Amino acid sequence: MKNLYVTGVAGCGKTAIALGIALKLKREGINVTYFKPVGSRPRLQGNEDSDALLMHEILDMKADVKMIAPFTAGTSYLSGLKNQELALASIKESFQAISGEADVVIIDAATFPHVGATFGLDVVSLAPLLDAHILNVVKVENDLSVDQAIFFNSNCAARGLKLIGHIFNNVPRQVLAKTEGVFKPVLEKMGCATLGIIPMRPEIASPTVSEYYEVLGGELLAGEENLGRLVEEVIVGAMTMESALKYMRRSANKAVIMGGDRADMALATLETSTSALILTGGLYPDVKVIARAAEKGVPLILVHYDTYTTIEKISEVSRRIRPGDFTGINIAVENIEQHCDWRLILKSLKEE
Amino acid sequence: MGETSSFTNPRSLAVIGASNTPGKIGNALVKNLIESGYKGRIYPVNSREKEVLGLPCFATLAEIPEDIETAIFAIPARKALDVALACGQKGVKNLVVITAGFKEIGREGAELEKEFLSICRQYNMRMLGPNCVGFIDTHTPINATFLKGFPPKGEIAFISQSGAILASILDWSQTAGIGYSKILSLGNKADLSEVDFIAEAADDPNTKVILCYIEDVSNGPEFLKIVPEVTKKKPVVILKSGTSQSGAMAASSHTGALAGSNLAYDTAFKKCGVLRVSSMSELLDLAIAFANQPVPKGDRVAVVTNSGGPGIIATDRAELNGLQIARFTKETIEELRSYLPAEAGIYNPVDVLGDAKADRFRFALEKVFKDENVDSVAVLLCPVAVTEPVETAQALIEFSRAYPEKTVIAAYMGGQALAEGTKLLTDNGIPCFSMPETAIAAIAGMSAYRKMREQADAREKADDFKPDQKTVKAVFYDVSRDNRLALLGNEASDVVEAYGIAVAPTALSQSPDEAAEIAEKIGYPVVLKIASPKILHKTDIGGVMAGLQTPEEVKNAYVNIMETVHRYLPNVVPYGIEIQKMVPKGIELIVGMTRDVQFGPLIGFGLGGIFVNLIKDVSFRLANGLTSADIAEMISETKAYMLLKGYRGERPVDIAAVSEVIRRVAILARDFPEITEIDINPVFAYEKGVAALDVKITLS
Repeated sequence: MKNLYVTGVAGCGKTAIALGIALKLKREGINVTYFKPVGSRPRLQGNEDSDALLMHEILDMKADVKMIAPFTAGTSYLSGLKNQELALASIKESFQAISGEADVVIIDAATFPHVGATFGLDVVSLAPLLDAHILNVVKVENDLSVDQAIFFNSNCAARGLKLIGHIFNNVPRQVLAKTEGVFKPVLEKMGCATLGIIPMRPEIASPTVSEYYEVLGGELLAGEENLGRLVEEVIVGAMTMESALKYMRRSANKAVIMGGDRADMALATLETSTSALILTGGLYPDVKVIARAAEKGVPLILVHYDTYTTIEKISEVSRRIRPGDFTGINIAVENIEQHCDWRLILKSLKEE
Repeated sequence: MGETSSFTNPRSLAVIGASNTPGKIGNALVKNLIESGYKGRIYPVNSREKEVLGLPCFATLAEIPEDIETAIFAIPARKALDVALACGQKGVKNLVVITAGFKEIGREGAELEKEFLSICRQYNMRMLGPNCVGFIDTHTPINATFLKGFPPKGEIAFISQSGAILASILDWSQTAGIGYSKILSLGNKADLSEVDFIAEAADDPNTKVILCYIEDVSNGPEFLKIVPEVTKKKPVVILKSGTSQSGAMAASSHTGALAGSNLAYDTAFKKCGVLRVSSMSELLDLAIAFANQPVPKGDRVAVVTNSGGPGIIATDRAELNGLQIARFTKETIEELRSYLPAEAGIYNPVDVLGDAKADRFRFALEKVFKDENVDSVAVLLCPVAVTEPVETAQALIEFSRAYPEKTVIAAYMGGQALAEGTKLLTDNGIPCFSMPETAIAAIAGMSAYRKMREQADAREKADDFKPDQKTVKAVFYDVSRDNRLALLGNEASDVVEAYGIAVAPTALSQSPDEAAEIAEKIGYPVVLKIASPKILHKTDIGGVMAGLQTPEEVKNAYVNIMETVHRYLPNVVPYGIEIQKMVPKGIELIVGMTRDVQFGPLIGFGLGGIFVNLIKDVSFRLANGLTSADIAEMISETKAYMLLKGYRGERPVDIAAVSEVIRRVAILARDFPEITEIDINPVFAYEKGVAALDVKITLS
């Protein structure tokens, strides 16, 4: 059988799709393993790739975690410390070991399909080496997202690679109809198969408060019990009370960032649907704010940098499925079973 | 409130933490209790003392042979819970918790307070405090505070969230000779709050006026239920602090008050007939006026003075404060003219001139008091060589007694020279201030109370109608399924339409073709608006195109709007585009609702359009119990009212239809507590009927 290379742009939900397909195939009695040839972000704590860790555990793989994710192309990987031959060699070696265990290897791409191109480690260059067909995950933002899919599709075709199809992932409800009625037919006309349209589920699309807390650090002053809450929106409370309340009331399950000295704003915010309150500047809040947050069970995070830095850091936060996250894992499989043509995926892998 | 009827008159008291050491709170408490002449039994409790200030002391509550009605806590917070349990087991009814170290110190304190309260609930005990200074009742008599001094008997009840303010008032009142019926310190208001004691003071025959200093209202709905009944019987004057932005912050770090919005407090107090003042001096001035003088029967005030300047200041201030300068009867004017010197002022204000002795004042006062066009009299006196302040005071006292239904306030403008006269007046129940504007403000405040009471009497219940709640529920279901809080424009239009409010036809489209189809159906011209709950100001980002006449224009506009919005807000995924039929322009109004944490929904009405935030011509009322009289009043308060009546030759519009929109928005807010905000801006008002154009609704 062929292996499956799952690719797409940053934030499209590749790992969740890879996980869903892997588990689905496993349930179908196929021996599946996971491989991530090129990671893209260096980890601050620990050297192990969190996706690799997750798959290692869930697929019960014997290979070492370092072997599952052998190479990292960080944003300065061309500075001379990395060597192209060594990189390629270690990827090949690891892949050998991992594919040895399995019928199918699900290969997870880097943040973008082009990452690693200088070393010949981009998706299009690696796919033939890893004996894989390609599956593209589309993040639907607007009409241009479809252009991207088609462009990638033609690129693969030109290189003689098989792109078995596209999955529209995390589609907001308001564009479901357009995806079905406009985007899918357009793709088809251009000779691209749509393998699935997966509606957005906040349960796996939105990061939890604890994911924010991990990135931000700082002190947790209240609401320890609710770190599992989902954050669907982030609002910066740097306005007058009057206009702030308008925004606060209109958005649900939000994290709100504001200076620690704004007791009035913090109290008002706590009266609206809030998943977390992030206080900046290291300004210890009024006791009343802490007491109210505790009463309402809203996590209150005090960070020591300014609001701008906080927002910058927050842009790194994204939802990652973890080994113990059964809801997330179940939804990932459900999405493949209910919204994707997994039979067709399986059939394409069986075809040489 | 049956539970607190004996709160300030307990049969027996235990002072827990009683002490012989001067300077300790447990010592001051027992001393104050004894010295106040309290007739009930006092039981000091302290395991280390055999006797406290001559009273036998008990090691524990359980050892006291008698039932204890009230226990006063003067022990550290960490011991408070054990003692509270012991109180419960002993069958104590009321707790007065002086002890600090609860909610006001933060999270741990808040936990402790919660546990304390649950013990009270378990044993059916009521609690004053914690973190309070106690209470005083001069008629019981009892002084269960650790403050210095005991005020004279009087008819003013003072309820305060700040203990320090009480301490100052108490000391100051002793010098000024002002008496009180009760003084209560609320502290953290864990259980009993202002509303309990306002209700108690309402039934207290010794109390004529109720004063409150508060930082927040703990229980909005309870307040709205009880206080209107109280203000029918006697005036309630409230100084609510935390009105400015920084004030709110100060309040939040003080006893730990929740920052309720200032506007909501104003509206709620008005609804309840509460007089709201903004300074300590106003609070006390009004208290003195209400305690000593009758509420004026009308707005007509007469000013009698021996100098021109203060007379003019007083009349200016009277007009500013909504009083009327009384117009004397012909008879009065004739009599004043026949006796007073030719250069004297015989109309209102009556100026008896600087050389007036008491006899001239007496003559003028007699005529003015007798005049049936006068509801209240302000007497202003400046000290000159011939002035007779004491004799003038005597004349004033005489006429005040002869005409008990007329309100009299004096202003003796001076110091040493007028001190004796001032004292004579205050001792005889005539409030005497040192400035003319204070005297007028007191009359104006009393008059405002009368007006609020009259309005409350005139209010009738509004009849309800049968709205289509099913449609509203269906829309809300869709919104909650999407995990949204804000409704789309077409959804919001459906909701208000279900409540019988006329809206301009609106529908959502998800493609250019669908948009054109809808436009054909509802008729041209149409306006297209971007549909997204995340976009508050659509025009600002090119999300609105108006005046479209053909299907082609509609389709082009659809794509145009989508692309422009995407350029401004790349991360927002719109739901599509709303198509609305354009209706003829009428007078632009706004009708809105915002829900206050304490007092529930507030309805707003005013001049609408895009300048609403600039012009700020909006009046507010509480939605609950909103009557047609309220609605008429709130419309007439705005400048928009002038437009509605027909401004500069325009024809008047359908005010009845506008009122109906306000009424139905109020009912909608009442029926669906999950709505936090409604904003209909603009509503076009026409000669006949109205049309709502842009409706925004937010849920909780």
